[in-house]
Amino acid sequence: MIALSVAAVLAIFILYTSIAGAGTPEIGPSTVGRHAGEDVLLVGTVVGHVAGDAHAGGMRFLLKDDHGTSPERTSVLYSGSVPDLFRTGRQIVVEGTLRDGTFVAKPGSLVTKCPSKYTPAKSST
Amino acid sequence: MAQLGRAALLLSFALVAYALLGGSLAAWKRRRRLALSAQNALVASFGTTLVAAIVLWVALARRDLSFVYVAQHTSRSLPLGYALSAFWGGQEGSLLLWLLVLTGYASLAVLLNRRTRELIAWTVPVLGGIAVFFALMLCFVSSPFATSAAPADGAGMVPSLQNPYMLAHPPLLYLGYVGLTIPFAFAMGALLARRTDERWIVATRRWTLAAWTFLGVGQLLGAHWAYVEIGWGGYYAWDPVENAALMPWLAATAFLHSVMIQEKRGMLKIWNVTLVALAFCLSIFGTFLTRSGVVNSIHSFSQSPLGGWFLGFISIVTVFSVGLIYIRLPLLRAKTKLESLVSREATFLYNNLLLVALALTILWGVVYPLLTQAVNGETRSVSKPYYDFFLHSFGLPLLLLMGIGPLVAWRRASLRALGKTFAVPAGVSVVTGVVLLALGFGSSTPGLLAYTFSAFVAASIVLEFVRGRRAAGSLTRLVARNRRRYGGYIVHAAILLLAIGVAGSSAYQTIRERTLQPGQSMQAAGYTLTYVSLGTRQLQNAQQTSAVVDVSRGNSHVATLHPGKSWFPVEQSASNDVSIYHDPRSLGDVYTIADRISKSGALDLKVLVKPLVNLVWAAGFIFVFGSLVAMWPDAVEQRKLADRYAAVPV
Amino acid sequence: MTLALVLGGVLAVLVVVAVARPFLREPAPASDALDEPGELERRRLTLAEERDRALAALKELEFDHRTGKVSDEDYRLQVGPLRRRAAEALRALEPRAEARHARVARPS
Repeated sequence: MIALSVAAVLAIFILYTSIAGAGTPEIGPSTVGRHAGEDVLLVGTVVGHVAGDAHAGGMRFLLKDDHGTSPERTSVLYSGSVPDLFRTGRQIVVEGTLRDGTFVAKPGSLVTKCPSKYTPAKSST
Repeated sequence: MAQLGRAALLLSFALVAYALLGGSLAAWKRRRRLALSAQNALVASFGTTLVAAIVLWVALARRDLSFVYVAQHTSRSLPLGYALSAFWGGQEGSLLLWLLVLTGYASLAVLLNRRTRELIAWTVPVLGGIAVFFALMLCFVSSPFATSAAPADGAGMVPSLQNPYMLAHPPLLYLGYVGLTIPFAFAMGALLARRTDERWIVATRRWTLAAWTFLGVGQLLGAHWAYVEIGWGGYYAWDPVENAALMPWLAATAFLHSVMIQEKRGMLKIWNVTLVALAFCLSIFGTFLTRSGVVNSIHSFSQSPLGGWFLGFISIVTVFSVGLIYIRLPLLRAKTKLESLVSREATFLYNNLLLVALALTILWGVVYPLLTQAVNGETRSVSKPYYDFFLHSFGLPLLLLMGIGPLVAWRRASLRALGKTFAVPAGVSVVTGVVLLALGFGSSTPGLLAYTFSAFVAASIVLEFVRGRRAAGSLTRLVARNRRRYGGYIVHAAILLLAIGVAGSSAYQTIRERTLQPGQSMQAAGYTLTYVSLGTRQLQNAQQTSAVVDVSRGNSHVATLHPGKSWFPVEQSASNDVSIYHDPRSLGDVYTIADRISKSGALDLKVLVKPLVNLVWAAGFIFVFGSLVAMWPDAVEQRKLADRYAAVPV
Repeated sequence: MTLALVLGGVLAVLVVVAVARPFLREPAPASDALDEPGELERRRLTLAEERDRALAALKELEFDHRTGKVSDEDYRLQVGPLRRRAAEALRALEPRAEARHARVARPS
């Protein structure tokens, strides 16, 4: 009987993953070029000057790899809620798609990693 | 003084290593004095660890910045309470807290169970072995007593952690996590001693219940903190750190139920030892997740040296438990079989399967990024939709089972008897479902199902109390004579409230965002919010800017809210100050976030109307009450157990 | 600094005493063997647990019957076997019965 239930649970699980797809890729600025046009999670550290307004026209900033010395920088365009901890030098995660060289983020999907390694500060759920 | 701390930790390490090695030798070679000596070593290790802890606390209180740890987690202007709580604010301190609680619990367990000479002889080395890992880390890998030239001021504490909930949340969680070590150690001890009786379960029943309660309350506090402090409008984000505590809690819930079957019917021995080992491994894994940052990015793995050590430790524990269980398999095989798929034993089994399935799917979601990185070279992750799907698939049937279980008899339940006991609750839930559907709650299928099932469970619990009271004469007598059963029902009622609160505040919430100029208003789910004015004020260590927002329902004013932002100059960071109105009529919240306050005075206001969310917090109190009732010592039961073990004290 | 040294020293001494205590109290004991339940005692424990289980099941059946969860018919069907089980368990725990079992169990 236990075997049956395990099989049932596995069945539900496999059904889900086959329908909903196998997760969203998490990539850094150095490799995002390979996923142009796809919905991905871009992970990186904010560098340089943050321009624009996330609530009016969009905020623009540059992102680099969290680790390693890749010179790649991705330009991100973001609109929506900005978490408190966001600023230059912070590690962030943002969902969106790379289009024509600019990473267009899904509104409200910006998440900063809390420096003390507790729960990341979210902007919306 | 840091020297004293380091020395005390070295002594702790020596003591628990002795408890492990000496204790193993004593149990294996049957040496009484050595066994006692190992027990003493374990108890003494609590003393030395306490000394180390006091050294750290004193350093924190005095803001002794020559301690690197103190400089990293406090500042001169930090209020004393928070400075003391910085003990568990960082990796080294939380490891020390783990060891402190572990040695404390181990000492208590040893002292209370001294009479079970054989069982305790084998349990002591297991406890020692676990403590050795933490002591090893503290002495040689991640010490809280590193010193350096004292800087002018400390780095301060992240503002969002300066909150009363953060004072209690980590210690409570640790009391829970570490608490699961005791039943695990006794279970392994019993296996090592080739025991097949229930002594280890009897000895650890209250420990498991207490640890489970602490873990549950700790999580609720954490959720409440996230709700009021992080302020995104929710209380659970399926973050790895949150899941880290949920997984062992689910496994412990399953374990609490399945041991009842072993007690009553002598079945499921193998399942129980496996489950307690799983709960313990998940609890270590949870600590590891929270402390090493391994899941956020695979590269953090190499950043924290602790990651590798933890993984090694979990592997050793897993191999040890699986190996031991496998070797003792012949001893544990049950002679009793499940008599019917329609019996309380069976419903407990279904409940277990669902709980473990949920815990494992969450685990899969948590490690998925690590696996995809290792296999494909590319990290993929899952998020809310994944978790929500499985929460609904497994959680909703679990909710229903909570109502079904108590109505079904042990061993075998005839369908006719079932029909009679099910009639009223089923009727109540069908009526509720139809009414809710008519009122428009069909907008969310999981929400509607949750409410309908909840009605079933509520009716079933109420009936239990009503019928029981009739049989026992009075409510107090009923509960006093059946503490575990009715304490359990109270806990079920708490979980029920939790489920209703979660369903209401997620499936039926309303979110609205608008930019307002002073004087303008917005609507949200029957409430009108008007932005009145802006103000600033100075707090002890922050500058706060907040908007005055009037909330009215219909034509009557119900509240004035002050959503805003604070700026902490020492830590150079900002924090969101959300403002919440708790509506007594709907038991829900009107949750306001000042997303942005422009220089011109325009306010970007985000409003979330969350029905029934306050049930989630109320559930916490009832949960604790129910647990206490279930744990409350029963003179009759104690006498029976004393009688049972009088002839065979070991 | 010296305070730390003194406290550390005191701690070390206390620790050594705690660990050595069992050996210091009984330098030459009659027996240093750790108590362990023999075959007889293990069986007695299992029997005691079975007795308690049977009695508890009986008590629960009565309670479930009184609160209406178990019908009269089901009660009548189950109470007999449960009472017999409890009686057997009680009998098995009597000293005479135990000795008989022990004799039977040991190979002659």
